[in-house]
Amino acid sequence: MAYSFEQHKMSGAIGADDEYWRGLEDGKFRLPQCSSCQNWTWPAHYRCGKCGSWDFKWVDLEPKGTVFTYTRSQYAFDRVLERKDDVPYVTVVAEIPAAGNVRVMGVLKGDETGLAIGAPVKGSIEPPSAKTKHYPSIRWELDL
Amino acid sequence: MSKMRGAAAIVGIGQTPYYKRGTSPEPELQLALRAITQAADDAGIDVRDIDGFVSYASERSDPSKLMPALGTRECKFASLVWFHGGALPATLNMASMAIMSGQADIVAIYRSMAEGSSQRLRVIVAQDDTSAQYLVNGLDSPAQILALRAQRLMEYHGVPQSALFATVQASYFHANNNPNAYGRNMEMTQEVYDNARMISEPYRLFDCSRENDAAACVLVVSAERAKHLKQKPAYILSAPMGTMEGGGALEENWKPYYATAGQVELAERLWKESGYGPKDVDVAQIYMNMNSMGIGAMVDHGFFKMEEAGDFCRFENLVAPSGKLPINTSGGDLGEGFIHGMGLIPEAVRQIRGTSTNQVPDANLSLVTGGPGDLMSSTALLGSESTL
Repeated sequence: MAYSFEQHKMSGAIGADDEYWRGLEDGKFRLPQCSSCQNWTWPAHYRCGKCGSWDFKWVDLEPKGTVFTYTRSQYAFDRVLERKDDVPYVTVVAEIPAAGNVRVMGVLKGDETGLAIGAPVKGSIEPPSAKTKHYPSIRWELDL
Repeated sequence: MSKMRGAAAIVGIGQTPYYKRGTSPEPELQLALRAITQAADDAGIDVRDIDGFVSYASERSDPSKLMPALGTRECKFASLVWFHGGALPATLNMASMAIMSGQADIVAIYRSMAEGSSQRLRVIVAQDDTSAQYLVNGLDSPAQILALRAQRLMEYHGVPQSALFATVQASYFHANNNPNAYGRNMEMTQEVYDNARMISEPYRLFDCSRENDAAACVLVVSAERAKHLKQKPAYILSAPMGTMEGGGALEENWKPYYATAGQVELAERLWKESGYGPKDVDVAQIYMNMNSMGIGAMVDHGFFKMEEAGDFCRFENLVAPSGKLPINTSGGDLGEGFIHGMGLIPEAVRQIRGTSTNQVPDANLSLVTGGPGDLMSSTALLGSESTL
């Protein structure tokens, strides 16, 4: 099967996270762990900076975390105009305890009541759409 | 102390007017030529003798394009320092090294931007380094990405909104006295600030810089040569660049610290290399693409602790002539205009010369911090002859 994000590939930054997007398109929340020293490397990279291994295993995780920080975008920014009708929207940076507290971004879904740093969130996966530039995405929802 | 300490000095400054983005009557290459020739005149140097060129970030007016119009006799050194505004003070490092090692004698450090002649915002500034992780999740602009850090700084570390407002008020207070500032006619009050629209929470409009069309340049020569030129030299005491372990291109995964500027280690090296500390600094130009990041830079440099930010960042402490730490005395990135911070170095030099429109009396140690929270950053301390 052809993955949507591969047909709409954006370049930028390190670019070692294809497996993350593939995972989401397959309905799995996956993060990379070093096969040798078990360190979680995020953003994904090509070599483990802790032990020098080149091998990572992509581990299926339950998408659960806590709010590390967030912002409510009140303006339709240039390169994310696909979301202009959603303004204001909140993007959350969630810390994932099951993966060494790495932080994964996602747009907040549902009720904002109780949104605060430290609040627990659970994730759900949304299929690719124009709003997400034809990538799959994780949405964080408050899980109070 | 380092070998670089006082080895080179800034002897010339040049700045074009700040235009509203997209309205410069001249393309950015021409703006660069204006700033460089002005800096040469200011120094009393024949512009043809400039033999080194240093810029940073997404600069597109490269020396090969400038040389024919400057009449450059020979270009011996040309380099770009990596990343965005974080690289600003590191240009002084690069120029000092080129001069100390005999690779060049007169180095122009410059930055030119004009929206019309380069696709700056969409393509050039982004430099293809905004990852899908951001764009998929509705984050595009530095205003949004740095808002994430501001939220953490304010909600988790307790830095109050009043601290952010004080930096805005001080910047515009200084801009009001600077006839060259883009914000010279803007009267900044609590009401104006509070009523401005939200951009990306917690940032309101005036917490953010707005890019202008303009160019600026400073000329660097050896300390020896500096003695024989027109202007009072501003010596480069230290200008460290880099980032800490756990920093760099890690998106929002910076550890061990996140909400400030990524300049703790840089500042430690700055104080060690220069032999001075935060208490010795007379005046500071603090890079404020967004103001909370500048507050983070001041925390990282040891001017105050996170929990003291509300008390320290009050209008009276941040303004010339008599504040505890006058900042952004030309109006800075918020009030004077923003060309990725390049206006900050000329103002740091004017303070040493005694020619700022918001002069701090007897300013001898003048700080310039680089783009806070950038993938890599830098910071620099300039000093008068008496500080050597």
